[in-house]
Amino acid sequence: MSRRRRWPAAGALSHRSIVAAAAWLLAAACGGGEPRSAVEQAAAAGGTLRIPLINDPIFDPVIAPDLGSILPNKLIFPGLVRPDEALRPTPDLAESWTISDDGLHATFTLRPGVLWHDGAPFSAEDVKFTFDAILDLASGSRLRSDFAAVQRVVIEDSLTVRFDFHAPFAPFLTLLGYNAGILPKHLLQGAPLTEATDFNRRKPVGTGPFMVTEVAPGASVTLVRNPHYYGSVPKLDRVVFKVVPDLNAQVAQLRAGELDLVTLEPANLASVQGVPGVEVLQVPVVQHFYVGLNVRRPAFRSPDVRRALGMAINRPAIIDGVLRGYADLPRGTIPVVLKDYFADALPPIPYAPDSSLVLLARAGWRRGADGRLRDAAGAPFAFELLLDKGNPTREQSALAVQQDLGRIGVTVTLRTMEFAALVRDRVLPGTFDATLIWWTTPPDPDQFAFYHTGQDNNNVGWSNPVADSLLALGRATLDVPRRQAIYRAFQRLEMEDPPVMVLFYPREIQAVTSRLVGFPSLGIRDALRHSERFALRTK
Amino acid sequence: MAGFLLRRLGHALLVLLVVCTVTFGIVHAAPGGPSLLADPKLSIADRAAIEQRLGIDRPILVQYGRWLARLARGDLGNSFLYQTSTVSTIMERLPNTLLLAGAALLLTVAVAVPVAAWCAERPGGLLDRLAGALALGAISVPVFWLGILAILAFAVYAHILPAGGASDVGGSDSIVDRLRHLVLPALVLAAAGTAELFRYTRASALAQRARPFVRTARAKGVPERGVRWRHAMRNACIPVVTVIGLQLPRLVGGAAITETVFSWPGMGRLGIEAALARDYPLIMGITLLVSVGVLLASFLVDLAYVALDPRLRPRA
Repeated sequence: MSRRRRWPAAGALSHRSIVAAAAWLLAAACGGGEPRSAVEQAAAAGGTLRIPLINDPIFDPVIAPDLGSILPNKLIFPGLVRPDEALRPTPDLAESWTISDDGLHATFTLRPGVLWHDGAPFSAEDVKFTFDAILDLASGSRLRSDFAAVQRVVIEDSLTVRFDFHAPFAPFLTLLGYNAGILPKHLLQGAPLTEATDFNRRKPVGTGPFMVTEVAPGASVTLVRNPHYYGSVPKLDRVVFKVVPDLNAQVAQLRAGELDLVTLEPANLASVQGVPGVEVLQVPVVQHFYVGLNVRRPAFRSPDVRRALGMAINRPAIIDGVLRGYADLPRGTIPVVLKDYFADALPPIPYAPDSSLVLLARAGWRRGADGRLRDAAGAPFAFELLLDKGNPTREQSALAVQQDLGRIGVTVTLRTMEFAALVRDRVLPGTFDATLIWWTTPPDPDQFAFYHTGQDNNNVGWSNPVADSLLALGRATLDVPRRQAIYRAFQRLEMEDPPVMVLFYPREIQAVTSRLVGFPSLGIRDALRHSERFALRTK
Repeated sequence: MAGFLLRRLGHALLVLLVVCTVTFGIVHAAPGGPSLLADPKLSIADRAAIEQRLGIDRPILVQYGRWLARLARGDLGNSFLYQTSTVSTIMERLPNTLLLAGAALLLTVAVAVPVAAWCAERPGGLLDRLAGALALGAISVPVFWLGILAILAFAVYAHILPAGGASDVGGSDSIVDRLRHLVLPALVLAAAGTAELFRYTRASALAQRARPFVRTARAKGVPERGVRWRHAMRNACIPVVTVIGLQLPRLVGGAAITETVFSWPGMGRLGIEAALARDYPLIMGITLLVSVGVLLASFLVDLAYVALDPRLRPRA
C-alpha cells in the first residue's frame, strides 16, 4: 500500500511536507505500487462508491450554503481549473490561460466539445453567466466576496473568455478551482438561482464525470457515470451520497459495509482502527484552528500579552492528547499544507510558561499571593472563552487552553453555544472576549479578508499597519517568489504581534474501504474533483 | 353530536392559533437566527442581501402577519434550507415518518396489551417479573444509545439487518428490503412506548380485576376468556387509550432521535434540522402539522372513550 501518503504521527516537523511530496511522486512513478492487473480489474468492475452527507444537498455551487451540498457539487459541476495533489491549479474546463503583464486581465481558452449532461454544448456563454451570477448580490450567490476583484467577464469567442479585474488578484486561479463550478446558462437564465428549485433539488445539469439520476429526499443522491465526460472515462459506475447526519451512525455504517468513505473526528478513531477492510488515511487541510482574542478589549490590546498567552499553551499536548496526533504544530495563520508559502524556517511557538509570565509582568500583570494575575489596580486577569457546542475535539481543546492559562494565573470561563448563535450573536458583532474557532480557506495564502484592518471577516479587530500593507501586496503580487517573501514576512510579523492564538493545523482523517484506489491524497473536498479516477477493486 | 363536533373544531382552531403564535415568537427569539447567515465568511452586504431575500429584515409582527396571511391561502412559504415549498418538503418526508410511527405503534399495542393482560392475571409470576424488569430497562435507556447498540449488534457484528436508511440505494426496492430497513428503527422507537403502555395496562387491568362486576360476571358463569377480555380488559382499556393517544404525537415528533441514528428520511429529523438551522418556515410548517396531529389524536381518543364506555356518550 505504498501508493498512499501516510503521514508520520505528530513530532518532528521540518521538511515533512517535502518528504511526503517526494513519497507521493515516487509512488505515482511506480504505478502506485499496485499490480497493474488489479487496477485494470477495478476499471472493468465499475461498482458503486458510497459517501455520507450530513444534509440534503442543494445542487448549485454558487448558492450552496453547506458541506452537504459542496461535496456532490464537486462531481457534477467542474470549474475552469482544478487543484492537483500539490493544490496547484491545473486545467479542467479551461485548456489554458494567459494573464496579462499588468495582472488586470486573464484570458481562458475553453476545452472544445464539452457537453452538458443534457447534451447541450458548453461554451463561454456559460462561464460568463456563472460569474455574472456570482457577482450579483440578488442571485443568492455565496461566492461573491471570493471574486469581488473581478470587474467583468467578456466573451471573446465561443471558446475564449476574458476576466477583467479592478486590481491584480493573485488568488484568482486557486479560487477558480475551489468552489466556482460552472452553471448551464441555457437552463438557469432569467430567474434568480435560488428559485430554480427543480434544478437545485432534483435535476441538476453539469459537465462533470457523474450525473444525478435519482434524489431520495432525506435519504440519498445517486449519480451515474457520464458517458460523454470530456476527461478520461470515469471508472466507477455510480457514486451514491447517503444522508447520514450522525457521525456515530456513519462509522457504524462504514463498519457494516454500507459506506465506503467517511471523514472522522479524532474521537471516532478507535472505532475504525483495526477494522478489516477499512484503511485510515490522513491529509493536512487548509484550516487553522485558533483562539481569537478580541483585540478591542483593553486586556488584549498589547501584542506582548497575546504573545505571552500563546506561549502559555501547551500545543504539543493538545495535538497528542486531543487530536491523537492528527494535526500539525502551528507557526502563524498560514497552514503547513500551503508548502510554497508556509514559513517552515520559523521555529514553532514555544511552550514557555515562565517566559510568558515575564512578558505579562512587562505588560503590567503580576502574580498575587493567590497565584492569580492582577493588573496595577488589583483586577484579576479573567476572560470568557466561547466555543460551539457538541464537537468533542474543540471542547477538549478549550478545556486544555483553560487549564494551561489557569496555570499562569489567568482565569478562563468556558461557554458553549450553538455555532450559529456563536457566530451571529457574538463573533460578528464583536461582543466576545475570546472564541475558539477556525477558518477553512481556499488553498492560497491570501488572508486579507481575515486579518486586514477593517475587513468584514476580521472578527478579532486586529490591526497592524505593516501587516495591512503585506496582505494588500500579497494578493496583488502574481510573481510566486516575491509572493513567498511577502507571506514569510507576514508570518514573521505574526510571531511578534499574533492576530490570533493558532492552536493547530488539523489533518483530515479519512476512513475508507481498502478496495478504493485512485483516491488522491487531498482533503475530501478537493479529492472529489478527481472522481473520474476513483475505482473499486474487486474483493 | 354535531354541536359537540363543531365545538371541538372551534377549540382546535384556537389551540392551533395559540401554538403558532407562541412557536413563531420562540423561534424568532432563539439566539443565532437562520444558519444561512451563520457563515462567518459572508460580507456585511452579502448578509443584508440574504436577509432581504428571506424577508427577515422586516419587524417580527409584519413577518407574522405575512405568514398568517399566506397560511390562510394554504401557502406555508419556502424553506430557507431547501429553498423549496415547505409543504412539499414536509410531504416528501411524511410517508416515511407515518410508516415508522405506524409500525412502532402497531408493535407497541400488539406486544404491550396482551402481555399486560397475561401479567395482570398472574402478578408476581415469572413472566410478570421478567416483563417488569425489561420495561424498566426500556424506559430508562436513552433512545440513541439503544439505537447504536442495536446497529452494532445486528448490522456491524451479525450482519443480518442494515445499519440505516429506509431502503437499499439503487438496489431492489422490494417490500422485503423496506421491511428489513424498518425492523431496527421500529423496534427501537417502540421500546419505550411499549414499556410505558405495558405498565399502564397492567396496572389498569389489575385494578379492574378486583372490581365487583368482574366477580359478578364470573358468578354468572361467564367463561374466563370472556371475563378477561369483555369485562375486565374493556374497562381497563379506557386509561390505556389515553396513553396510546399520548403516544401518537410522540411517535411523530419524538422519532427525531431514532430517525437520526438510523438515517431514516423522516419528518422528525427534518424538524431537528429545521430547528438547528432556524429555518423559520419549515419549523412553523412542521409544528403546525404535528399540532394538527395531536389534536386529531386527542379527538380520536375522545371518540374511542365513547365507543368503549356508553356512560360517556353525549346526551341528545
